[in-house]
Amino acid sequence: MLMSSGVSDAFLAVSASASSRSPTPPALATGRRLFSALLPPSSSLSSSNRHFGPRRRLGRRSSTMAARAAAQRLENVDELIDSVETFLFDCDGVIWKGDKLIDGVPGTLDMLRSKGKRLVFVTNNSTKSRKQYGKKFETLGLSVTEEEIFASSFAAAAYLKSIDFPKDKKVYVIGEDGILKELELAGYQYLGGPEDGDKKIELKPGFLMEHDHNVGAVVVGFDRYFNYYKVQYGTLCVRENPGCLFIATNRDAVTHLTDAQEWAGGGSMVGAICGSTQREPLVVGKPSTFMMDYLANKFGILKSQICMVGDRLDTDILFGQNGGCKTLLVLSGVTSLQMLQSPSNSIQPDFYTNKISDLVTLKAAAV
Amino acid sequence: MFATRTAALRSLRARRSSLTSHSFLSSLPPPAAMTTANGTKSPSTSQPLLPQAAQSLVDSVDAFLFDCDGVIWKGDKLIEGVPHALQALRSSGKKLVFVTNNSTKSRKQYARKFTSLGLDVCEEEIFSSSFAAAMFLKLRNFPREKKVYVIGEEGILEELKQAGFSCLGGPEDGKKKVELKTNFWFEHDKSVGAVVVGLDQYINYYKLQYATLCIRENPGCLFIATNRDAVGHMTDLQEWPGAGCMVAAVCGSTQKEPIVVGKPSTFLMDFLLERFQIDTTRMCMVGDRLDTDILFGKNAGCKTLLVLSGVTTMSDLQDPSNEIHPDYYASSVSDVVDLSDSLTKGQ
Repeated sequence: MLMSSGVSDAFLAVSASASSRSPTPPALATGRRLFSALLPPSSSLSSSNRHFGPRRRLGRRSSTMAARAAAQRLENVDELIDSVETFLFDCDGVIWKGDKLIDGVPGTLDMLRSKGKRLVFVTNNSTKSRKQYGKKFETLGLSVTEEEIFASSFAAAAYLKSIDFPKDKKVYVIGEDGILKELELAGYQYLGGPEDGDKKIELKPGFLMEHDHNVGAVVVGFDRYFNYYKVQYGTLCVRENPGCLFIATNRDAVTHLTDAQEWAGGGSMVGAICGSTQREPLVVGKPSTFMMDYLANKFGILKSQICMVGDRLDTDILFGQNGGCKTLLVLSGVTSLQMLQSPSNSIQPDFYTNKISDLVTLKAAAV
Repeated sequence: MFATRTAALRSLRARRSSLTSHSFLSSLPPPAAMTTANGTKSPSTSQPLLPQAAQSLVDSVDAFLFDCDGVIWKGDKLIEGVPHALQALRSSGKKLVFVTNNSTKSRKQYARKFTSLGLDVCEEEIFSSSFAAAMFLKLRNFPREKKVYVIGEEGILEELKQAGFSCLGGPEDGKKKVELKTNFWFEHDKSVGAVVVGLDQYINYYKLQYATLCIRENPGCLFIATNRDAVGHMTDLQEWPGAGCMVAAVCGSTQKEPIVVGKPSTFLMDFLLERFQIDTTRMCMVGDRLDTDILFGKNAGCKTLLVLSGVTTMSDLQDPSNEIHPDYYASSVSDVVDLSDSLTKGQ
């Protein structure tokens, strides 16, 4: 499916386990940079690549990773802050919930900046582009620049760039505006997106759905305009266009799209395409370390100098661990203390705390 | 394989009880591999249906079980030679049964489709996955005060209603939209005790969210899949995403695996045996899909015939990664009759 034999082995192993019917299509390009980022650090290709396989339950990890000690409640804030140079923050459930800022966030970000820490925001939410996220931060009164934001929409475009995806090939998108904007910025032609949400099909004799044979990649992310037309279009491209890539921005099961409750996430749309194509996708968002490698490379930072702060174990924390970073789970999002401490959970962050503003309040209390 | 029908039923009931906790793949025994005398696995032993084999098959079987999409019809178009083949088999005293994973119609609606295509098939000869879902709930004594949320089409709704259950969802919810804005609250009925997912051409985010909330938040809520076919011939000209797509979408947001009631699960076989009282060894399952039809037949102890008139090609069958080997393969259903001496001569 991919360029180098090492990487294609990984995907063959995954697709075999998902009972894929399609033979390995010929490679589209031969760029090798950043491919290692798509594999877990234990790069034993025969072990189940949980990042790319179907999500079963919380806590399933590569069998080659050593068991970690149970997460500690965060107490010594200074020690943590002094030991890292960069803080990576997830957004939904950490900085905001829907369009509502979580308590104490502005003060926390200010404090960290004043201590000379680099702040980076890494979100699996592909509905906005980096530019659009920049505006959201601004609207909420936070001063964060576009260059500090890494959304999975950006990751999809960056990935295609990294493999020299040909500019004369098209990308079919099952997803929202964010993905379209990033593809456009990267110079790629796309089809699909929200517009196709209005298209209907008629399952009647003689009806044939055409699809563009020039589509070389299908990118799937969260899509509130999801429908059968898009599923069929994406399926035809993946099954019939030789070498067509199947890329997922992320596979989050549920997410806080509004402040009040959880909503079915990108994992649902991606699951749908896996179901009809019997293929596993290339995941560019967390917990894949693609974005981690990209930003470490870009900012010239050592991963051991990074602390990943997130609310989800099987994306944020796994992402941090796979990258060799420190990890801090906040309970202000989708994960509860009960879930963290459940016997069926095997993903243990280094620390946990209620919300990021604890970095300020616990620090003050310690004085 | 089984001396009596009772023994066959007992074995199937045992297998059925394992349905509740595993995905369809893990709950079934692995496909039979042929081993040679020195213990090594031999390559595919599927035989082409040549005249001698066709005759031998017809002689050894009392009932033919047919899949529908890709075997009897493609969309709304009959496959060539089918009416004649079915007629010849009936005239020679064979029982005909139709087992389809397509849950968009109820048994009654399928009977009407057969009639409209000029085929004489009655409701009692049809076993659809829509019917299977309703029967599954009935056998489990699903409480009547609980509701069922349906991601699927009319067929599932009709069968559930006929079995006395209250439903929500279905095609109507295909028109509903969601508003993702501050303070918007998506309600869901807390008395939903089961979510049934099948092929749904009106699939949308509203339904995915509704089903996700039911499964994640209503204690004990069942997650039932009519089937998991990846694609199928919903129209004559091309393949379309099947229920496997909608089911996987719900798996993706709930991180749970469903109970699968359609092929290759042998759940429907119990109903067939009760009605037709024929040993499974005297049955032949005829289908176009290896991982549902043929696996279903093998798991139930039937003979199996793959027809190449549907989703599976010769190269799919012969692909080294394929581990499901039907007893026979032929280009279409009409080969059974055309190649069989006794049937072509009308004996």
